[in-house]
Amino acid sequence: MVKLFVDDKEIEVTDGSTVMQACEKIGAEIPRFCFHERLSIAGNCRMCLVEVEGSPKPVASCAMPAVEGMKVITKSDKVKTAREGVMEFLLINHPLDCPICDQGGECDLQDQALFYGRGKTRFVEDKRAVDNKPFGPLIKTIMNRCIHCTRCVRFMDEIAGVHDLGAIGRGEDMEIISNSPKGLGGELSGNIIDLCPVGALTSAPYAFKARPWELKKTNSIDIFDGLGSAIEIGSKDGQVLRVLPRLNEDINEEWLADKSRFAIDGLSNQRLDSPYKRDLKGKLVACSWEEAFKVLAENFKGLKSEEIAALVGDQACLESIVSLKDLMTEFNVTNIDCRPLLSSLPTDTKNRSGWLFNPTISGIEKADSLLIIGSQPRYEAALLDARIRKSWIANGLKIARIGGGDNASYPIEELGNNVNVIEHIYKNKHSYNKILDKSNKPLFLIGENLLNRKDGEGILGRIREIAKKYNSFSDKWNGLAILHSSASRVGALEVGFVPGNKGFNTKDIIDGVASNHIKLLWLLGVDDINLNKKPNTFVVYQGHHGDKGAEIADLILPGSAYTEKDATYLNTEGRVQRTNAAVSPPGDAKEDWKIIRAFSAFVDKVLPYDNISELRKRLANINKLLVIENSLIKGSVTDIGDTSTKLAKNLITPKNINYFMTCPISRASETMAKCSIAKSSLAAK
Amino acid sequence: MKKIYRSIWFLFLGELCLGMFLTLKYMFKKPVTINYPFEKGELSPRFRGELALRRYPNGEERCIACKLCEAVCPALAITIESEPREDESRRTTRFDIDMTKCIYCGLCEEACPVDAIVQGPNYEFAKETRSELLYDKAKLLENGDRWESVLSKNIHVDKQFK
Amino acid sequence: MIDFLYSQNFINVMFIIIKIIALVVPLLVIVAFLTYAERKVIASVQLRKGPNVVGPFGLLQPLADGLKLFSKETIFPTVSNKIVFLLAPMIAFSLSIAAWAVIPIADGWVISNINVGILYIFAVSSLSVYGIIMAGWASNSKYAFMGALRSAAQMVSYEVSIGLVIITVLVCVGSLNLSDIVYAQKSTWFVFPLFPMFIVFFISALAETNRAPFDLPEDESSLVGGYFTEYSSMLFAMFFLGEYAAMIMMSGMATILFLGGWLAPFNVAILNEIPGFIWFALKTSLMLFIFLWVRATFPRFRYDQLMRIGWKVFLPFSLLWVVLTSGFLITFNLLPVNG
Repeated sequence: MVKLFVDDKEIEVTDGSTVMQACEKIGAEIPRFCFHERLSIAGNCRMCLVEVEGSPKPVASCAMPAVEGMKVITKSDKVKTAREGVMEFLLINHPLDCPICDQGGECDLQDQALFYGRGKTRFVEDKRAVDNKPFGPLIKTIMNRCIHCTRCVRFMDEIAGVHDLGAIGRGEDMEIISNSPKGLGGELSGNIIDLCPVGALTSAPYAFKARPWELKKTNSIDIFDGLGSAIEIGSKDGQVLRVLPRLNEDINEEWLADKSRFAIDGLSNQRLDSPYKRDLKGKLVACSWEEAFKVLAENFKGLKSEEIAALVGDQACLESIVSLKDLMTEFNVTNIDCRPLLSSLPTDTKNRSGWLFNPTISGIEKADSLLIIGSQPRYEAALLDARIRKSWIANGLKIARIGGGDNASYPIEELGNNVNVIEHIYKNKHSYNKILDKSNKPLFLIGENLLNRKDGEGILGRIREIAKKYNSFSDKWNGLAILHSSASRVGALEVGFVPGNKGFNTKDIIDGVASNHIKLLWLLGVDDINLNKKPNTFVVYQGHHGDKGAEIADLILPGSAYTEKDATYLNTEGRVQRTNAAVSPPGDAKEDWKIIRAFSAFVDKVLPYDNISELRKRLANINKLLVIENSLIKGSVTDIGDTSTKLAKNLITPKNINYFMTCPISRASETMAKCSIAKSSLAAK
Repeated sequence: MKKIYRSIWFLFLGELCLGMFLTLKYMFKKPVTINYPFEKGELSPRFRGELALRRYPNGEERCIACKLCEAVCPALAITIESEPREDESRRTTRFDIDMTKCIYCGLCEEACPVDAIVQGPNYEFAKETRSELLYDKAKLLENGDRWESVLSKNIHVDKQFK
Repeated sequence: MIDFLYSQNFINVMFIIIKIIALVVPLLVIVAFLTYAERKVIASVQLRKGPNVVGPFGLLQPLADGLKLFSKETIFPTVSNKIVFLLAPMIAFSLSIAAWAVIPIADGWVISNINVGILYIFAVSSLSVYGIIMAGWASNSKYAFMGALRSAAQMVSYEVSIGLVIITVLVCVGSLNLSDIVYAQKSTWFVFPLFPMFIVFFISALAETNRAPFDLPEDESSLVGGYFTEYSSMLFAMFFLGEYAAMIMMSGMATILFLGGWLAPFNVAILNEIPGFIWFALKTSLMLFIFLWVRATFPRFRYDQLMRIGWKVFLPFSLLWVVLTSGFLITFNLLPVNG
């Protein structure tokens, strides 16, 4: 501990703290541009100058370590003139184009010039002019405004691990440049927009759309991946205009992946805004809710319960899943599933640890070795990938991979694609066992797709045994981490949207449709299955976008997207979170659970909840934690998987993922399409 | 004595006569009103009349969609929507002013960094229907074009006091 | 029939009709221009221009106003008593015209030179209360009704003091004939010896004709339009004409009673050459101007103040003056001796 005085107040800070941290501890406000808590210290903006007794010049508090007995003054005339001087220098080359700048209203430079600036200019010479740089379809650059804080360079280098940005030149001639002319690499580049303290880097799709004071801000969570990052939705006139990250140390810290941030323009394209049914010619035509329900009820009539099936897709909320399950129970239907084809994810909440990311996302930082098996966290959960990199930088996390994939922002020891590698480690015959021997907290990151195999149970069982052997599958440290790429999966498994007694799983249902055994299939936002449909099979699609699912449907029930409903989601680690409606659904579209509830009344099988709070009571009946926001549903250690299943011969191949187009929303997004093109042209080069 | 004086004053309706005399005096003064539709009063260059959007001499519209006028308007009479134009410059796609809401306070004019929105000298814009008073961008630009000579002069004259 | 046409009676009737027309038509024209004069006088006091668009100096404004009133629709309130509603403005209008029958405009220029002329005028002007009461009642509207009640109470109250003023004059003249009253002022106008009575008469005349500052029956701020709230177009115009005709009549009365009627101010040959009706017109115009001048100067009275002045000031004061005058005349044996 170091004792020092700030503004005559005595204060104790930990060793290695900076003067700025000490000042903040007593609540003294220190202006800054280049300093950021999560980035390395650069000390190049000089805005954080404070006076230190004994020092002839003011010192940059962000870079100055606190020393025993130091006397720091933050509110003297000297500090004031120093800050005014720095501000004046910064403004020398900063254009006064705030009125046309998108940062206007939320600009650090604007605010600090108001509080710490001189208010009058003495500069009469010409200002510097800098060419704008191509930063890709997401980021608009106006480099005249740059004040050389290098936050963007440091972020890309340190957090994103994509070494695309750099600075050349000195002093006034310094410029931020990109060595990737088609666009920045990685999946986190959007964060440099938030980091930029001025308007040099702004969001390209959001350009000139709105001012910050016009936006209605709604706290919500993101559903493009399994993480459930905290976001703030900015909407205006019933349209979602931008999404910003919100601080959540457990999940996304203060970053956000590009898809979550920029795919929102897909929310206004290709929307299902009215129910559709097939006319006599087989064409989908818009109809009223009443007609739609009538058609649906007619098709339900006379069907045996085993001829009906329901599937849940990637972005369905807990409320709609539960009400669909309850509706199916009313019809005695057991053919329900939420898992992908062939998936061996356990179905009993007892075996919860077989589907959860048990060590939790922030737990990655505690682990000391990481084995990625059949997963590409970079594409499946970009921010989790950033966590891995963070842990690699901070703790020297050792990372190995089975199943290959694109290169990552951290060094990986490739163990090959062969399933036998798992068998070898299981039997203690592999070189990786040596690393595991030395490791105290090994982490096994299992990709969801790894379990979508016939021998998935066998793989899961073997990894469970490996983990057990290395003290990594216990109540103390559960290193078994299943990474889901879908926001709905954990929630659906939690409420038991899985085949019931003699029920069909996803594969059986699809086969059942092909063999004309299933006569009615209810798809709740399912867009990634290939159906071999017979003419007398009736497919209902309930969702918000006209995508693959809607194409094959005989009846479309328009639901609402995550920005349009108050809904509960469980993220991959089992954290209960809620979205909040920022705008209302388009046209005739309704909240999904209300559609199901209304239909239940239409067929006289009324579900016992009339409003969202009654529905949440029903959720609480399943698990009390499901209605407590931010609670973490933990899995206990059980024998998941099955070691007796023989492993198949086929290799673990990395799934080909186009990061920018994984769901109906992102597929409908123009911005994402541009990104996709930019990325493929980058790869071609 | 004073009492007697007062009662005489009262008896002979002194106050009334005084008042009558005053109004009589005023009768012979020159009227201050002007013959409005035929004669018009002098207007200050700061007169806050009908709103207009100005252009640069080369025909480019001045407004850059900064939305400061929209933000400052106390009557919420201004609605602006913007997006990048083809040449990537920041422009409005919609600039509506509800003249039935406008209170002619002039804050928009003061907030405008490019002298685009101004309150012109025209006060004779009574309309037959309400909807004619909902000005859109085309109407505002047309106002600006019509009054530009006066507007630029007024701004020039008033500049030294700002 | 032909005999009748040549008979003296017929000629007399025709003569009277011509006389009436010769009186009423100019009277209506004067009423019209009085409205113009009122607007101009008040405008100039208030430093405005007044009507100046229709015709030269806006002189045709009254015609335009009249045309407007003629062309407007007559509205009958659904709840009104139609007959009384229609009758009321006619009574008000015809009564204020009828009073003119006995007013001598010049020496011998009078339609009916009766001996009880002053009583006739007094009677007729008292009757005009009926028109107002009828209007207020027939409208079936609270504003109109309250306006009518106010008006009636006000007129009745001030008639008392007017009566006493007239008695004072009559005591000095010794005749009820209006021409005789004028003749009696050959040497001295009564305005000089009876100046306080002249003031009382004038103020009472303001109240009697519902003029400012006693225009409480049409007090916009509390009664909208008073007894003619519900009236429009020609019916309204008749009230309007009636009010202004009454105003001119009261000015004429003041001229006759105090300002020597058609007599020239001084008994000088040159002035005597000027026809009497011009003198009469000039004096009446002066009185009318004072009417307008007062309106432009004073704010409206409160109703209780109005009543207080009427009953507590004017009545005792004029009563006292009657006693003083008659006492004076008897004491000095100056009582007039007439036929």
